[in-house]
Parts: sequence; structure tokens; C-alpha cells
Amino acid sequence: MTETMEQIPERDKGVGCQTARKTAIVGAVFAGVFTALLVANLIGSAVLGPARELKLDAMKLRVQKEPDNKELLAEIRQLDLKIRRDRLWRWEFDRKAAYMLLGSVVVFLIGAQVTRLLTREPPRPGPVRDVGEVQIETAVHARWAVAGAVVLLAGGAWLLYSRGAVDFVQAQDQGPAYASMAEMREQWPRFRGPGGAGVSMYTNIPTRWDGKTGEGILWKAEVPLAGRNSPVVWKDRIFLTGADPNAREVYCFDGFDGRLLWRGDVPTAPLPEDAELDLMEDTGYAASTAATDGRRVYAIFATGDVAAFDFNGRRLWRKNLGLPDNVYGYATSLETYENLVLIQYDQSDGTDGKSRFYALDGLSGRTVWDVRRALPNSWTSPVVVEVEGRHQLVTLSDPCAVAYDPADGRELWRAECATGDVAASPIYAGGLILVIEPYAQLAGIKPDGQGDVTETHIVWRMEEAGPDICSPVANDQYVYLMESEGLFVCCNVQTGEKLYEHDLRESFTASPSMVADKLYLLDMKGVMHIAEVGPKYKEITTCALGEECFASPAFVDGRIYIRGDENLYCIGEAPEAGPR
Amino acid sequence: MMLRFLRFTVFVFALLAPSLAVCQEYRFPPPDFESGYELPETVVPPPRDSAYEYVDTAVFLLALILASYLIHKKRSRRAIYALVIFSLLYFGFWRRGCICPIGAIQNVTLTIFDSSYAIPITAAIFFVLPLVFTLFFGRTFCGAVCPLGMIQDVVLVRPVKVPLWLESALRVLAYAYLGAAVLFAATGSAFIICRYDPFVAFFRLSGNWNLLVFGTSLLLIGVFVGRPYCRFLCPYGVLLRQFSRLAKWRVTITPTECVKCRLCEDACPFGAIREPTEDWPTGQYRIAKKRLALFLVLLPVLVAGGAWGGHKLKAPLARMHPTVRTAERVYLEETGQIEGTDDVSDAFRATGRASGDLYREASMLRDRFALGGALLGGFLGFVVAGKLIALSVRRRRSDYEPDSAGCLACGRCYRYCPKEHERLNQKKERVPAH
Repeated sequence: MTETMEQIPERDKGVGCQTARKTAIVGAVFAGVFTALLVANLIGSAVLGPARELKLDAMKLRVQKEPDNKELLAEIRQLDLKIRRDRLWRWEFDRKAAYMLLGSVVVFLIGAQVTRLLTREPPRPGPVRDVGEVQIETAVHARWAVAGAVVLLAGGAWLLYSRGAVDFVQAQDQGPAYASMAEMREQWPRFRGPGGAGVSMYTNIPTRWDGKTGEGILWKAEVPLAGRNSPVVWKDRIFLTGADPNAREVYCFDGFDGRLLWRGDVPTAPLPEDAELDLMEDTGYAASTAATDGRRVYAIFATGDVAAFDFNGRRLWRKNLGLPDNVYGYATSLETYENLVLIQYDQSDGTDGKSRFYALDGLSGRTVWDVRRALPNSWTSPVVVEVEGRHQLVTLSDPCAVAYDPADGRELWRAECATGDVAASPIYAGGLILVIEPYAQLAGIKPDGQGDVTETHIVWRMEEAGPDICSPVANDQYVYLMESEGLFVCCNVQTGEKLYEHDLRESFTASPSMVADKLYLLDMKGVMHIAEVGPKYKEITTCALGEECFASPAFVDGRIYIRGDENLYCIGEAPEAGPR
Repeated sequence: MMLRFLRFTVFVFALLAPSLAVCQEYRFPPPDFESGYELPETVVPPPRDSAYEYVDTAVFLLALILASYLIHKKRSRRAIYALVIFSLLYFGFWRRGCICPIGAIQNVTLTIFDSSYAIPITAAIFFVLPLVFTLFFGRTFCGAVCPLGMIQDVVLVRPVKVPLWLESALRVLAYAYLGAAVLFAATGSAFIICRYDPFVAFFRLSGNWNLLVFGTSLLLIGVFVGRPYCRFLCPYGVLLRQFSRLAKWRVTITPTECVKCRLCEDACPFGAIREPTEDWPTGQYRIAKKRLALFLVLLPVLVAGGAWGGHKLKAPLARMHPTVRTAERVYLEETGQIEGTDDVSDAFRATGRASGDLYREASMLRDRFALGGALLGGFLGFVVAGKLIALSVRRRRSDYEPDSAGCLACGRCYRYCPKEHERLNQKKERVPAH
């Protein structure tokens, strides 16, 4: 083509040039048309796609609430199919248009190249220059340009360097992304402390305070929103939650002076149009106690909103499990196991498959495992206990205590032992899982069975008491029960034999706690009854806080944290002056 | 003027459009109904028949032989252009830009540094053949076989001359790219030449949005600036430049002798034609000698400075390694410095490994990058010093001739030479005599 160009007559060159130019224009026009089509398709999928998907997501949320709604299911299927068809159609359209576009560009290029060849001017060297001077000048400029390139490269390198980097050597010393069991035992990481047992490992817990005079009260802090959940403590941080119909919040107080370090907002997921949330006033929106794995704190609310925060108050994730179908309002507290957040989400009457147990990854909120439970709504909290070197996740609902492997959700055993509106959580003491059937009985189950152990592993039943709200507390010898009307009962852990009952003549919703050889019983008026652990009731003292109390206190290293109706109290001695 | 503007605008759109088409990702989850439908098992397509690899190698070898013949013996731009189109279609669109000698640098590097990696024989051949051919015939691979060069060749419509000083500076980028590619391949971090291949998305009609923008930009620049990727970025081009300096038979503009008619002065769209030189004024020699001495002294300083800087960059450089990236991500998540997790950190956690192990491994890798970064920095310091020295040395040329390193052996300059026309005329006259 290039060699013969000079031989083409000028007339033919003109015709050829015009043809090539027109070809290039046609190619360019087609390229423009296909570009426009592709852009239109792109905009179409960017606008229509998300709108339909949002609609589909909303419908999927609804179907969780109404799993038997066949019409809704059919509608979802239809919309899902439509979305997929549309995407495939657009995909195919794009593919074809891209090929057409490529063809148009090729035509354009051919036209443009031929036009260039046919219109090319013969070489016309410029005036003669002083080559030596030009070359010297060019070399000077080139050296400066190379130096400039070096400066630019160095600048880029500096930018990269200044971004900073993770110190992996230091990071190795930080350990895993969750606290060890030993660390957990030293803190109060969940409702009723380690293992949900209500037992503190510390012996230096105060036994004297007075809310009226302020004696023994280290600080008092107002809690912004109401909630009957209990304090969770990790070193110098105290976590609480609070909520009302409009807001859900997590609070972190400074254990040193009670300062509110941060309050984390948990936005509510949009509820389906026909959603209703009937809550008992006593339950409220924030009855569930938060939990921490030593790195993050997790909270759940009566609306099914779950969230995770780091210790600096940064929300890591949130999700909504769907509005719980619960007659009194959701009140189950959270538990953690290694990196997992464990959520007992019992709902409805247990026949519609709504009840589930979720294990979420603490870092991401991703569901690691979940199991369906054919059990109705309950108000107990799950506990992870160590049985013969292996961990079990024990739950209680009407009519069963069910144990799972906390790592994968595999069911280990179940025992029919409690019916009704169960609210008292199970505990593990003296080698037995102790469960309460409200107004009926306390039962001891050996947790080493498999499958249905109702007939084989229920060691004893004590049918003379059955608290409806408060969870039991026990050591290897005695188990103590607190009826909400104030009847305090002690039994032998190994046999279930009742050893004594003592009527405190007060109302209780806070569960009893055990600190070394003392029992701490907090009544609703805010009076702590401190008694000796033993086969007979022997009260040591009482301490009044001066504010109504409904939540169970936390006992950590010389301090008691009590949530009153409006305030959080820290009872203990002021630390000695010095660095914190 | 209007027409030119219109043409250019349409051209821009035309080149951008495929990007828009292919940038979308059509991934969506499978239906989540429990209808009993079983998803078919994912089928991994079988690898390409190995016989094709030998076909590719044979085609590659033939293309190189043919290119060398056409460039040196036939001296026909038309024939070379036909081979350009063939190479573009075969190695570009048919073989989808893979395998190519440019990427093979990384295979060769990895096989040197990782004893567990065995380089595919085709990759080794693809890497070696162009170098061997360059040693004998100059950069004939660049001139007529490389698909990356060819796609830029076909879009070159209005070539403009890049000043030599600018070209000298921009060429440093290619050395940096080569150094980085070798470093990342040697550490098993990434094959960045392949990952950031700007034209592979066009060959495959599919690709990542950023790369499409990058490739489109290069092609748009390529409308005016001849082969910007080859001249200022291509890491393999760096090697070919050095080999080309030693070539036994180089491309010549004139088939016989240069008559210094200056007709070829602006013939090369890649700025690879060098003018005859003249003697410098006497004063310039003394200055040039001092300057040269300064740069010779500066050479070890620049090498040492580069090595120090490269060593300091171990942390950002190590981020190219997936393990280090994962470790950083996991660390930031665990310390709450970033919100949520991603697929990588989820996948890591699914392995059940302790994050401490990951940090330890990342720390060791980063230490390797300290050495690698120092070598890379030292290499770049050497390149810069070498360039400054080369720009301070006087070259002697009596004829117009292609730059021994920069000539891409495309044959565009032939027809500008009156001696070439003379040769062609003589050839024509000889034909009837037969």
C-alpha cells in the first residue's frame, strides 16, 4: 500500500481519499451509536437493577414474618426470575454490542489509516540547523528531565512510605481476636458473669455501702436510655444498653470515674408495613444484656437489631434478625464463644420454624452457623460451660434443655424438663446442669449424654420451688433459688434435697450472686441482702442503694456495678493515686 | 479542522465504549428457595490442549523468522504491515494476549527464585526467542510480532514527535516497571505485568474497569504518540534495548549509503532516527569531561541512595503480597480500625489459623522485601546514573541511522530514503530482463 501510493494518479487518490474518509466517518458514527446503546444499557441496569433488588429484599424480609404466605412466595419467585432474566438479557446485549462496536472501530481505523496514507505529504526537511548546538542543548534538557523523573519517583515513594504500616511484630503479641477463657473468668463479660453462673472469682467485694449518704459508693452515672439489662465489665470499661421506641444505644462507662466514654447508636432496620411490636413495660426494648469477647461488645434489642462495637465505640456491624414474635418481648441475653456471638432467638409457639439459634462471627456479623429450634418463645439466656474438657452450649426453652456444640451448632443432647414461660437461665454446678421450671421444679441433669437424655440423665427433681424470673446460683454443694416474691430456697446440689427456705418479704427480679462465701441478693427496692453461703440462711448485712433495681449486678475486683432504674452505680473503694 | 475534531471525539467514544460494556460484573447469588432444585456442579473447563502450545511456539518462531526476513531482506513495509495484522489477530485476539514474552519475564524470575516452580517450556521459549533474534536482527519482535505493539501501531493516526529529553525521562518508568515486576515475581507476590496488562482486556473483550481506562488512555495517546507503552513502559523492551545494542545486523534506513538528504529526519514516529553528529566546541569538551567525572562519582551514591530508599519502602512494597495484605486487613479489622470484613479476611478465618501466625508470616515476608526493595532501589539508582552518564558522552555519527536501542524495526523509514527508491527501481528494471 505504502510503496505504490506514489503511482496512484491524483484523481484516483482524491476519490480513494474521499471514500476512505467516508468509511471512517461511517465507522465512527456506528461506534457512536453502539456506544450510546451500551451506555443506555449500563444506565438501565444501574437504575432498574438496584430498585428491583431492594423490592426483593423487602419481600424476603416480609416472608420471614409470614413463612406460610404462598402468594408472597410466588411473587418473590416471579420477581427473582424477572431480575435474573433481565440481567442475562442485558449481558447478552452488552456482548453483542461490544462486538459490533469493535467492528465499527476497526472500520473507522481502516478508513482513518487509508485517509492518512493518501493525504500524506512528502517529506520536507526544515532549514539546516546547527546540529552540534541542538544536540548539546537536548542532552542538557534530557539530563534535567531524568533528574525530574527521579524526583517524581522519589515523591511517589515518599507518598507510599508515609501511608504507614501495621507493625506485625507488635501485632503478634496481641494474641487472638477474642479473650481466652482464663481472661473471661477474671471479668464480667455477660449476663451474670463468666458462664452465666452469677459467681465472682474475687474475694475483695465490698459489703458495706449506703446510697443515701454516699458511703462506699465510688461514683454514680446517669444512664441515658432505660433498660433492664445488666452491666457487663471488661477491665475499666462498663457496658450497658438502653432503648426506647425511637432509639437503641450501647453505652460504655469509664470504670474509673463513671464518665460516659461513648454511646453507640444502633439504627433500626426498616420494619415491614404491618409489623407490630407488643412489649411488656417490664421487658422494654433493652432487656437483653450485652456480651463482650474482650475485644468487642455485642448488643441485641427487642426489635431484633444486633450490633457490634469495638471498645472505642466504633460500630463494626449491625444486622436485624427479623422482628421477634414474643409474647412478653425479647429478653434473652447474648453469650460469646471464641469469635462467635451466640443468639438464642426463640419465637412464637415453636411450630412455625421461626425459632433459631444463631452463631455470628464477632468480627463481621456473618452467620457462621444457625440451627432451627422447634421450641416456642423463651426468656432464658444460653450459657457455654466446660464439661470434661469440652465446651457445651446449653439452652433452655419449653419443654427442653438442649445442648449444642458451640463451634458448629451440632446438637449434643436434650432433656424434657421445663414447661411454661421459662425465664430463669440454666447454670452448671457440681457436675450438673441445673434448670428451673417456673412455679414447679428445679432439676439436675448430667450433661454427658447424647440424644434424648430425659429418661437417663435427669438425676433429680426438686418440686418445692420454681422461680419464674430469677436464675439460680450454686457452688458444688448448694444451689440457691430466689422466687420473685422473695422466697429464698437452698437445696443440695447433688441430691436436690431442700435445705432451707427463707422469706425475705421483698420483690426480686435480679438473680442472686455468689462471691466467695457470701450471697448477694438485690431486691427491687435496691437493698442488697448479703448472707452467708451455707445450709442455713444467715444474713450478714443489708445495704440500701436508694434506687429501684431490676438488673443483676456485676462483681469485679473489689467493685460492684449495679444498674438502678436510672443510674449506674459503682460500689467500692477509690483506687490509690497513681497511673491508671 | 471541524472534521478532525469530530473524528477524534467519535474515536474517543468508540474506544471508551467497549470498556463500558465489559466492565459490568454479572455475578448474582443462586436462588435461595428450598424447592428441591439442585445446583449443577461447577465444571472447570479443561486446560487448553498442550498441542496448541507447540503450535503457538511454531507460529511464534515462524513469525520472528518472517519478520527478520521482511525487515532486513525484503525491506517491505507493506509485507511487514501484513505480518503486523496477522500477529495482532493471532497473538492478540485469537490467543487473547497470552502467552507473551513480556509476561514471561515473571515466569523466568519465579523459576529462578522459587525452586518449587517449574516454568512452562513455552514460556521459556517465548522469553528467549525474541532476545536471540534481537541479538542477530535487532528488535524484529517489536516491529512485527508483539501484539501489544501491534494494537498501538494500528491506532497511530496522527504521529507527533516526542522531544528527546522527554523521551529520556519517560524511559526511566520502564526500568522501574521491570524492576518492580522482577521483585514481585521473585517474592511470589504477583505477576504485575500480566495483572496490569493494558491491552489484554481489548483482546479478551472483557476486563477490569481500571485497566480498561488505562488501556483506552494509552490507545488514545497512541493516536498521536507512537507506541507509548512500548517506549515508556514495556519491561521487556528494556531487555530488548540492551540486546539490540549488540545486534549483529541492525536495521538501516538506506540500503546502500546515506546521502544525508535529511528526507528521513521525521520519518520515524517513535523518534528513533539519529542525526549525524558534529564536533563540539572546544570549551564544551572540558565541561563535558568534568560533568562525566561528576556523574561517575555520583553513580555509587545514587546506587546506595536508591538501595536505602528501596529498603525503607519494604512495607508498601510488601503490600503486593497477598499474605501481607490479608494480615494487614485482619489486623485492622481486629483492632477496629476498619468496619466489617471482606472475602479475604473471611476466608482466612475459615481456615481456623491464628492471626498471630499470619502476622508472623507477614513479618517474615516484609523482611524479604527489605532486601528486595534495596536491590530494586539500587538498580534504579544505577539506571539513573547510567542515563546521566550516557547523556554526557559524545556520540559520533556520520550518517542518519536508527538508534541502536530504540529502533523498533517497523520499516517505516525505508521509503523515505531516495536510495531505497533507487534500489526498488533497479529491482523493477531487472525483472523484465529475466
